[in-house]
Amino acid sequence: MIKRRNREEEDSEINITPMMDIVFIMLIFFIVTTSFIKETGINPNRPEAETAARAELGNILIAVSPSDQIWMNKNQIQLESVRILMESAHAENPESSVVIVADELASTGLIIDIMDQIRLSGISKVSLSAKEK
Amino acid sequence: MRRRFKKKREESEINITPMLDIVFIMLIFFIVTTSFVKEISIDVNRPTKSPIKEQKKSEVISVRISAEGQIFVQDRLITVDAVRANIESYLALKPQASVVVVADREAAAGFLVRVIDQSRLAGARNVSLAAQK
Repeated sequence: MIKRRNREEEDSEINITPMMDIVFIMLIFFIVTTSFIKETGINPNRPEAETAARAELGNILIAVSPSDQIWMNKNQIQLESVRILMESAHAENPESSVVIVADELASTGLIIDIMDQIRLSGISKVSLSAKEK
Repeated sequence: MRRRFKKKREESEINITPMLDIVFIMLIFFIVTTSFVKEISIDVNRPTKSPIKEQKKSEVISVRISAEGQIFVQDRLITVDAVRANIESYLALKPQASVVVVADREAAAGFLVRVIDQSRLAGARNVSLAAQK
């Protein structure tokens, strides 16, 4: 009896190979799908649009509040610093495009100014955030 | 000699516990930092200033948005709901025409997105954005 028990104890190592497989597959999945989106810090009321599509590479976000404040990376920024911030964001992730999250009530002039600044920083793909109807 | 060799072979299992720890920590990190939220957005063309590509006036459908949110298609005052029908009829006459949205600086961004959306729905291939000084 004693001998048997001893033997069982020795054999009772769990085979962790399948678990390892699953863990590795999950790890690879998360590494591949992760895109580090930096939140803007505010949540503007997006206008509705029917032709809106998912911006697959749009992971540089810049938000405009109804009172025409510009927000990026949870900080309020000035129009003059948009270009520098965009240049560094573009250097970090050269394939990314910019999504301007503008409030319905934000003024068009400021959005056009921001677009020009983004253009100057060398990013050609700019889109305006909307919500699906 | 032989005995020694055998012994070594038996002991040569690699200890994978530290690797497992690291893999688990990476897995947890990626699970926590992943955000699957993608912004929904519409693409906007902003014509570059440097190479001034003049389009013939006859091939441009101009949509003007005033500061108060009035919308003029080819200088005719219409409502947002009529934008699509109007652009469709202009496009029927000139299929190659592109739509230029000229927005007042004070106009709300919501109107801008709605007008761009409606002209996309009307079938305009090229919708670009210009600012009115």
